[in-house]
Amino acid sequence: MEIVTIDGLTKRYPGFTLDAASFSLSAGRIAGFIGRNGAGKTTTIKSMLNLVHPDNGRISYFGMPLIGNEAQIKKRIGYSTGTISWYPRKKIRTIRDVTKRFYDSWDDATYERYLRLFALDEDKTPLELSEGMKVKCNLLFALSHGAEALILDEPTSGLDPFSRDELLELFEQIRDSGVAIFFSTHIISDIEKCADDIIYISKGRIAAACPKEEFADRYQEPGETLENAFLRLERSAQDA
Amino acid sequence: MRNLLIKEMRLSASVLSFIFVVFGVMFLIPGYPILCGTFFSCLGIFQSFQNAREANDLVFSALLPVSKQDVARGKVLFACIIELSTLALMAIVTAVRMTVLADAPVYRGNALMNANPFALGVALLLFGLFNLIFIAGFFKTSYKFAKPFVTYIIVTFLVIGIAEALHHIPSLEALNAFGFSHLPLQLGLLSAGVVCYIALTGLALKSSAASFEETDL
Repeated sequence: MEIVTIDGLTKRYPGFTLDAASFSLSAGRIAGFIGRNGAGKTTTIKSMLNLVHPDNGRISYFGMPLIGNEAQIKKRIGYSTGTISWYPRKKIRTIRDVTKRFYDSWDDATYERYLRLFALDEDKTPLELSEGMKVKCNLLFALSHGAEALILDEPTSGLDPFSRDELLELFEQIRDSGVAIFFSTHIISDIEKCADDIIYISKGRIAAACPKEEFADRYQEPGETLENAFLRLERSAQDA
Repeated sequence: MRNLLIKEMRLSASVLSFIFVVFGVMFLIPGYPILCGTFFSCLGIFQSFQNAREANDLVFSALLPVSKQDVARGKVLFACIIELSTLALMAIVTAVRMTVLADAPVYRGNALMNANPFALGVALLLFGLFNLIFIAGFFKTSYKFAKPFVTYIIVTFLVIGIAEALHHIPSLEALNAFGFSHLPLQLGLLSAGVVCYIALTGLALKSSAASFEETDL
């Protein structure tokens, strides 16, 4: 079932254009969104969350356009990033008390379960958390309100290999419960490890959006690793 | 909106916003430009905006299941709560000065503005100007607050200066009424202040919501 549909998403900045990006995300699948720095990953994600205003294109969730249904849709999705911490000096407990008020679907039992699973201390502030724990903290909030789609902006950036591996395993567990996961990364091994679908963006254009196996068939040369295939594709895109 | 106000108070607000409400008591100080109390109260609100920007509050709020316009409205309404709390304190002090202290020599010989309903009306005008100049100005970009705050400071001290000077103009002495003298005029001026506050805050609400909706975060 398609949870998110992006169609012809265009955003123009001086010197950069996100050019007619189109792809979709399905329930119970992990989509890895890969591209080099400055390729348009964050612009796409920000547009998907209505943080920036696209010049063209349609974004819909659960069959509803984002514009006009923003509050209703945001109750059913979750967002996490490894690069920003919210209210760095407030206790997680306080942030939870306030956040849960906004969600009818908030489930304290789920919250407690993930709190234990992630080994998070509610009396800590985001400032006291490591990068990996910050991502887990954001995931904790998203999962506690029963998000059906998770949009994660570079969740593995800055993580050590152990924490990254742990997080990717967690994505698989969440995916198995039927949640659609969309995560951006520039680390190819993240995609190799857990993505079901690959969305590859280069110079503001979606160069590929398909299941991982199909990507291998279409773009990988015999004996070539996924990493080498991406490097080759990116080099030829830069030369073009 | 209630949830957004709770979020403002528990997550984004600086404690100074609440503490600086006490500056409403400046209405009790003789020989001092009492309207400066509004400036300190607004300075407390400014601290909350600064706090919010540093805590990534606007992006966090924009991701909550509320419209972006309501996020901006929540900030304006939070400011209104602080302002009206300060005004309530000023009103209590004014009531004391109009009754128990109506004939206190320390106030009778005061060259500066007296605490009366006209002063409360001007305080409301100043709070309304803060909402329109600073808050709506901040939401033009949602991150720059130096220019709107400096503009607010210039305007507010200009208005305070004019309000302090008015009763020295012949025929305008009634503006500085003591006790319950010139009550109809005084209450009329207070009402005018209420109208100004509602109009300016209404404009600030509309402008802030529209600007924030258009802002790329």
